[in-house]
Amino acid sequence: MGKGFCALFKKDCQMLSSGKFFLMAIGFLALYTAYVNLGYIRFMQMPPYNVYLYDPAGTQTEKSSLVQTVPSMEAMDTALLSDANGVGLDASAGEVRVVLYKGAEHVDHHRADYALFLLRPSTGSAPEIVGTNTPEQKARKEITCELLFFELSAVGFLGIAAVLFREKGMGVIRVHAILPLQKNLFLLSKLAVFLLSDLVFAVLLTLLNAGLADGAALLPAVLLQTAILSLIMALLGLLCALLLKDFRQFTLAYLIIAIFAATPVFLSANTSVKFDWIGWHPFYHVYMGLKNAYFGSATSPVYYAGAAAAILVLFLVVQFAFRREIGKEM
Amino acid sequence: MIEVKNLTFSYGKDKQALHGLDFTVEDGEIFGFLGPNGSGKSTTQKILTGILKGHGGKVSLFGQDISAARGQEFFQKIGVLFEFPYLYANLSAVDNLNYFASFYPREQRRDVGELLNTLEFKPDFLKKPVSSYSKGMRQRVSMARALVSNPRLLFLDEPTSGLDPSGAVLFRKIIEQERQKGTTVFVTTHNMADADLLCDRVAFISNGNLVALDTPKRLKEKNSNHRIVIDYLYQGQRETKNIEAPELEAGIPFAHDEIISIHSQEPTLEDMFIQYTGRGLS
Repeated sequence: MGKGFCALFKKDCQMLSSGKFFLMAIGFLALYTAYVNLGYIRFMQMPPYNVYLYDPAGTQTEKSSLVQTVPSMEAMDTALLSDANGVGLDASAGEVRVVLYKGAEHVDHHRADYALFLLRPSTGSAPEIVGTNTPEQKARKEITCELLFFELSAVGFLGIAAVLFREKGMGVIRVHAILPLQKNLFLLSKLAVFLLSDLVFAVLLTLLNAGLADGAALLPAVLLQTAILSLIMALLGLLCALLLKDFRQFTLAYLIIAIFAATPVFLSANTSVKFDWIGWHPFYHVYMGLKNAYFGSATSPVYYAGAAAAILVLFLVVQFAFRREIGKEM
Repeated sequence: MIEVKNLTFSYGKDKQALHGLDFTVEDGEIFGFLGPNGSGKSTTQKILTGILKGHGGKVSLFGQDISAARGQEFFQKIGVLFEFPYLYANLSAVDNLNYFASFYPREQRRDVGELLNTLEFKPDFLKKPVSSYSKGMRQRVSMARALVSNPRLLFLDEPTSGLDPSGAVLFRKIIEQERQKGTTVFVTTHNMADADLLCDRVAFISNGNLVALDTPKRLKEKNSNHRIVIDYLYQGQRETKNIEAPELEAGIPFAHDEIISIHSQEPTLEDMFIQYTGRGLS
């Protein structure tokens, strides 16, 4: 059994390697890391809007260093013309007047309040800070969590389905029906290859983007959640590849999964958009499990029981579909 | 080696594929299983190779009921050549064979290089990916895959498909050599020449029923009209005479100067198949 599994594992690695899967994973890792460190974190540290002040009499003495003073109203107009999200403050007539290009109403209020706050930053009431993460740590963990979820649910899923479609197209799955090996090993070796690859990816992505010290502390919980998501997605990928006729049909299923499964989860978990039914969406719980792992929050044991049951049920369904596939007309 | 009694199989409520087949295949025999598409030969082969479950009747291989014999030991004893050359297109012939061979005990495996050499595989292609092979080369690698485990029972589905005439002759020679080693061979084919030249016995299957089973020679003899056609020259003229075979016992029963050819009017296997089933083999 051990030898058979090793042969399958080695062959699956060869298949992935020849399909440039590992190369693609390394490419995605480099891309995500560059995006987080060179783009996202810098962007998150930037002030939300530029504030331009015209104050010829110098009446605004308490203003924040983030406020940019302009020498004339014409200069302010020019600045707002090139930065339509910016906010202008005209203090030339004594009382401060807010000048801005009209956008969405509630955002405009926010922009105006923010600009006026920068004139007297000491007057704002200090909010209670919850949690120990610095804004940068928080941003790093959030984006790493999102990228890992995307990678496992979209890219890895696509990868495993692509491999099985190739094998299905070559007809070699049927040869395994008459080989002296436990048929489940064929599925288990694929799950093992993808699980291992996803775990390595999760380790590298977390360490490179959430920070070495922070990331190392998070790894046990993150790896557990990665394993759950990786197994679920790999089993779904196998099932799609076994049930669907060809890769073209799969791309349609993939779009449906990506649009209708992942989008509401991202919206509910990361924005103020709330869906009443999101609690029934299984991927929402998986995503929250991963997010909890990154932020050190506890995850309910019911979730783990549900995840284990889902993996078991999916495995049994995939096993059934696999046995049906190998018995097909030769 | 193989014993099949009242074998039935149904794909659904109203889709009965096999209607009670009875046959045996002896140790070391080459047994041909012939039938048109959809006649039930693939279903029968899938049951015999342990792929398809849920049949009725009794099927024994190696003296053991097939239901109890689907373990790894059973699969170690059989080799299967599928109708199409199922191979990993991204791997070379050698890598494919080493991979498939790795599931069998080391002492049972044949040397991959030697096997490919026997199958006259072009050495230049040994390390090239299967995707660059011709159909005939893929068929040779597939045959090597079926033989690499030294099986005691070999299932061959259309073994000479995709081969040129010399390749077909080579394959028939190799199958004969396997039989001489004691391997039992179960051949499923449309190719009447293969069946006639290779098989000790053939079975005709039609609509899930076994309609005839005998040696190719006896099947043809049984249905022969025992007539002979003789072409000859007489007084400078070419002529043809159609006579009963017993008439030859006392020599050529008519005046002639030179015999050009003598043809028996024995039917072909295909004629027999059409006679038994009312259908062609295509």
